[in-house]
Amino acid sequence: MERLVNSLRVRLIGVVLVILAALVPPLYLGVSAIVREGYAERFVNSLRVYSRLMADELEALEEQDLDRRAVALLDSAVLSGQVLFAEIRDGTRVLHSSIATAPIRVPAQDDFYLGDHNDQVYFITHTVNRGDHSMTLRLGFDEVPTRESIAAAERRVLMAMGIFVAASIAVAVWLSAVIARPMVRLQLAAQRVAGGDTHTQLRVYSSIREVQELNYHLEHMRRELVGANERLSREIREREVSEEKRLDLERRLLHRERIATIGTLAGGVAHEFNNIMTPILLYSQLAAEEVPAEDALADYLRRVIAAAHRARSLVMRILTFSRGMDSQQPTVFPLRVPVEEALALLREIVPTNIEIVLAAPDQTLPVRGDASLVHQVVINLCTNAYEAMRQSGGRLTVTLGTIENPPESQVRPGCYHVLEVSDTGHGIDPLVLAHVFEPFFTTREVGEGTGLGLSVVHGIVSSMGGVITVRSTVGSGTTFSVYLPAATRQLQEAAAAASTGA
Amino acid sequence: MANVLVVDDEVEVGEAVRRVLERAGYAVTVASNAAAGLDAVARQPPDVVITDIIMPRVHGVELIKILRERYPRIRVIAISGGGSFGPLAYKPDAISTHAYLAAAREAGAEEILTKPFDLTDLIAAVRRLLPN
Repeated sequence: MERLVNSLRVRLIGVVLVILAALVPPLYLGVSAIVREGYAERFVNSLRVYSRLMADELEALEEQDLDRRAVALLDSAVLSGQVLFAEIRDGTRVLHSSIATAPIRVPAQDDFYLGDHNDQVYFITHTVNRGDHSMTLRLGFDEVPTRESIAAAERRVLMAMGIFVAASIAVAVWLSAVIARPMVRLQLAAQRVAGGDTHTQLRVYSSIREVQELNYHLEHMRRELVGANERLSREIREREVSEEKRLDLERRLLHRERIATIGTLAGGVAHEFNNIMTPILLYSQLAAEEVPAEDALADYLRRVIAAAHRARSLVMRILTFSRGMDSQQPTVFPLRVPVEEALALLREIVPTNIEIVLAAPDQTLPVRGDASLVHQVVINLCTNAYEAMRQSGGRLTVTLGTIENPPESQVRPGCYHVLEVSDTGHGIDPLVLAHVFEPFFTTREVGEGTGLGLSVVHGIVSSMGGVITVRSTVGSGTTFSVYLPAATRQLQEAAAAASTGA
Repeated sequence: MANVLVVDDEVEVGEAVRRVLERAGYAVTVASNAAAGLDAVARQPPDVVITDIIMPRVHGVELIKILRERYPRIRVIAISGGGSFGPLAYKPDAISTHAYLAAAREAGAEEILTKPFDLTDLIAAVRRLLPN
């Protein structure tokens, strides 16, 4: 577009130049012709009048001493300054002015136009009638002053023409600049927009209405473009987000399906395994009874039986771990039992750089609900604690206790048994802490955690009428506190009655 | 001599239980499914029936219900694989072992043994039901 604008300027100036070239020479020629004609006509007319007057005077001269009087008349004409040459022919006689005897080559003919002959002298011949005979008066006038005047006038015309041409070109250049400048600015702005800077307004000040309109329309287009751009990028963003969400959901679903499949498989395998273990255990014990205690065989069998017991407890823990959420009939049970059960499993999987401590009083701490769910709560909280200390190592403390009317605002007054899981890990960022109980909220990579753990824990605790709280200091550790309503005496008695049977 | 009937689809489990109990002084019959168990009961009613819960075709819990109905004198011990807390999503109509054992107890099983059980626990359970 710059080239276009430049060519626009060149073309504008070129057009002006062509017009001037076509117009100025004939104009000049015409004007100078008029000037020349005017001067010549005035010159010639005055000469004719002058020479006519002289001829009249010659006709009127007295006969006496005619020659002397005629020469005096010619002399007076020469003395007037206009006449360079004067003579009178009377038959063969020729009278010259006594002054203008300058050697002028006298042509034979008269002049008609100024400059008919290139001798700087304009000749006029008059016939003078004096009664009996006629004489011829010839006068030669100086053309030089008139020619000079004409030349001067022509120079002035030429100068005026020159000034006109120069002024025209200057105006053309200025005008082209006035038109082109806003166009160039518009062009640069359009280039910026095309280059990606769509947020600079197109604003070019110009008094030319077309340029203003062009600016207005270009700006309109820019806004449309910006709007369309924003719409498009917003749509793209939204699509990306929803696609991301969909993929995430899909991954989680797959993950859960896989977990469920593993659980089902583990359950099935465990059932078969328990069936297989039954004869192993029974026959080992049967054999051990047949062998004297001091026999080496008895020792071997004891070891087989111990291994079988370990296998049994391992399967039991796996089954507990892979259990689903199907809630059992609530029973009253000592809080300590599922907690110890869970910790026994955790001790097997947690590396030795993490110390597991259980601080529990001797009381039974009865609570009402499903013990396996409490087991799951402990496993979940302790797994999180272990994850927080996996790199650094540290101490995982599980504390059990009883508290009347806990200070936490969200806990209703009453008697609660408290389960606290503390770690000395990296702690939780306050921003994250606000969301830890939300479903699908996880800071781990997909595949490492479902983001369901703490929300499930929260659900379990709530279903048991309890409350879970968390406090954390970044860098020094996290503590989860689970408040479970203490089972009342009536409930305990009812549960005891149910378990002993009717 | 007290009679014991063992019903389990796992032949090795039934056989092991038979040998343990015979050595403890009981007369033991083994059946590998509920129908065979009921036949055996009809031939010679035992004092105690030890039955697996999860079995093909007729379920252990069903068997206990039938026994309770027809032979109220017979005492029943239920045995099953699975953890003390865990469910067993083993069968298509997945009900947890826990629920099965609870159902077995409700149907009339007086003792519950979880596989693999110890010899002493087995004998103790039978002796609790047959004190003399």
